[in-house]
Amino acid sequence: MNFEVPDEHRMIRNTVREFADEEIAPIAQEIEDEHRYPAEVFDALAGLDVMGIPITEEYGGLGGDQLMYALVTEELGRVSGAIGLSYAAHVSLAAKPIELFGTHEQKERWLRPLAEGEAIGAWALTEPGSGSDASNMDTHAERDGDEYVLDGTKQFITNASEAGSILVKAVTDPDAGYDGISTFIVDPREDDGFEVTTIWDKMGLNASPTCEIAFDDVRLPEDRLLGTEGDGWTQTMKTLGGGRISIAALSVGLAQGAYEAARSYAGEREQFDQPVSKFDAVRDMIVEMDRKIERSRLLTHKAAAQYDSGGEVTKSSSLAKLDASETSREVAEDAVQVLGGYGYTTDFAPQRFYRDAKLMEIGEGTSEIQRMVIGRELGL
Amino acid sequence: MKILVTVKEVAEAADDFELPDGALDIDERYLEYDLNEWDEYGVEEGVQIAEENEDTEVVSVTIGPERSEETIRMALAKGVDRAIRIWDDALEDVAFLDVEARARILAAVVAEEDPDLVLTGVQANDDGFGATGIALADRIDFEWAAVVNHLDLDVEGGLAHVHRELEGGVEELTDVELPAVLSIQTGINEPRYASLRGIRQAQSKEIVPYELADLDLDADVTDSPLSLTSMYEPETESSATVFEGSPEEEADQLGELLGEMGVVEG
Repeated sequence: MNFEVPDEHRMIRNTVREFADEEIAPIAQEIEDEHRYPAEVFDALAGLDVMGIPITEEYGGLGGDQLMYALVTEELGRVSGAIGLSYAAHVSLAAKPIELFGTHEQKERWLRPLAEGEAIGAWALTEPGSGSDASNMDTHAERDGDEYVLDGTKQFITNASEAGSILVKAVTDPDAGYDGISTFIVDPREDDGFEVTTIWDKMGLNASPTCEIAFDDVRLPEDRLLGTEGDGWTQTMKTLGGGRISIAALSVGLAQGAYEAARSYAGEREQFDQPVSKFDAVRDMIVEMDRKIERSRLLTHKAAAQYDSGGEVTKSSSLAKLDASETSREVAEDAVQVLGGYGYTTDFAPQRFYRDAKLMEIGEGTSEIQRMVIGRELGL
Repeated sequence: MKILVTVKEVAEAADDFELPDGALDIDERYLEYDLNEWDEYGVEEGVQIAEENEDTEVVSVTIGPERSEETIRMALAKGVDRAIRIWDDALEDVAFLDVEARARILAAVVAEEDPDLVLTGVQANDDGFGATGIALADRIDFEWAAVVNHLDLDVEGGLAHVHRELEGGVEELTDVELPAVLSIQTGINEPRYASLRGIRQAQSKEIVPYELADLDLDADVTDSPLSLTSMYEPETESSATVFEGSPEEEADQLGELLGEMGVVEG
């Protein structure tokens, strides 16, 4: 057992932390208030080789591992949940599947721009009528000569309004159930019939666009099919394994950011002639934060390490995601409490972490679904 | 051309550090280590020169324990080609190295590497002597310029056109013949973040460990007429004025205060 992060990973984490503190933290609340996707931040991250960390160097990535990617995602979440979320969706959901399931030509055309950070990516599974029961989807693609014709609506799609490519799940064989789902690469800038119909106002994470998108007879050449027909669901399961690790890492980051704000405030804020951290009630809250964060981070790193060694991560990634997402919400809530009235104002970060954290228990599989997955893994 | 950039890992004390009576140093648990701020600018300047001039090698040198490898590796990640780290049991045992000792050790490295240009930070933000660069120049008989905040290098002419920052906002424009030592001021450039690819590549770049004997130096290099007699936290006084009212009223109050203090006339 080795609990030390390797030197290279530590240097990368420290560099991204420095960048996040200097370049992102000062604008984190502003982009939230303005509901603004900060393209300039992602350009800068691309310049530092952050946008394709776990993607092979052959296609413009860094060639790093899942642990490195998790550490960086945590650092982004520590200052901005919105940037962390757009980043995690870009890497885990939009880029990674093309690397895993695409042809050489598809990787050159669609993966390279994502890995190099030329474009941000999106991934579309959820629909207005199909959430946790993701396989029950209406979006369908019908073959017409050497093309597919895509129709349907996807809901809550991160990055869709900014994306250079969207991986869209659609039914190609309505009678085949899970085996009738396929994945298509949609070019939102070029493909006729694609439309962003809504960009949602949300409780938090407003600098990360969450969209409803519609496909109206979108004609796709057959080289837009990712993998083979009917692979869509198996691909989804593999994609979500990595995705959950990134949401766990993002959650740990949110919790860490909230904890640091609470800890520093508690040491400075004086009431009854002493720092409030000297009162047991406040100290115990902060100790609990530390305990939960440490636990969630260990689960996250364990899942990432298992992923990197090629192991099965269904259970470990679900455990990490379930635990870390709850940690982030609980820690952020307590951080608001530690700051008292100030914690409720937008001049201080904890309220933002609190609002951002709530999504972690919903996105990429709700906590209820994670419990179902873990239960199944336990043979229950 | 070869550029030698001297770098130092410095300790920074946490805000809430405690210094017991009689202690000669801040306890390790309050310290965090990082690259000296001025040296970051020196590294960036060296790397920029190498990017603008072909066949330029940038070598970093540090005097420090194994722990400092991570700091110096960050310089490698930002584009420094290779590094030298000097450490020795004899250095482990001394409380601090004075300017003379540092200059002697670095002079031995210069003799070994034969650089055309040596960049040092103006000072280190731990012991702050602000003298190593110039003492080194004196010892190796190089031309020198201190507190350089602008550098325009004429490689072919062997000349460095520099701006030196003097007191009171005055700048001196000087030409310095190479080989030279320049002590670099903060703000001369904008130090880059290391790219992740740079960090990965830096893992396999060379950091050559030297002991004093490798540089033909004895342990007596650390002998110093200086000794540290005490360390204490000075009393600090500060006053703050809080303006209250509408923005217009606050601006009036600020204007009045600046007038009183002689910052502005009127």
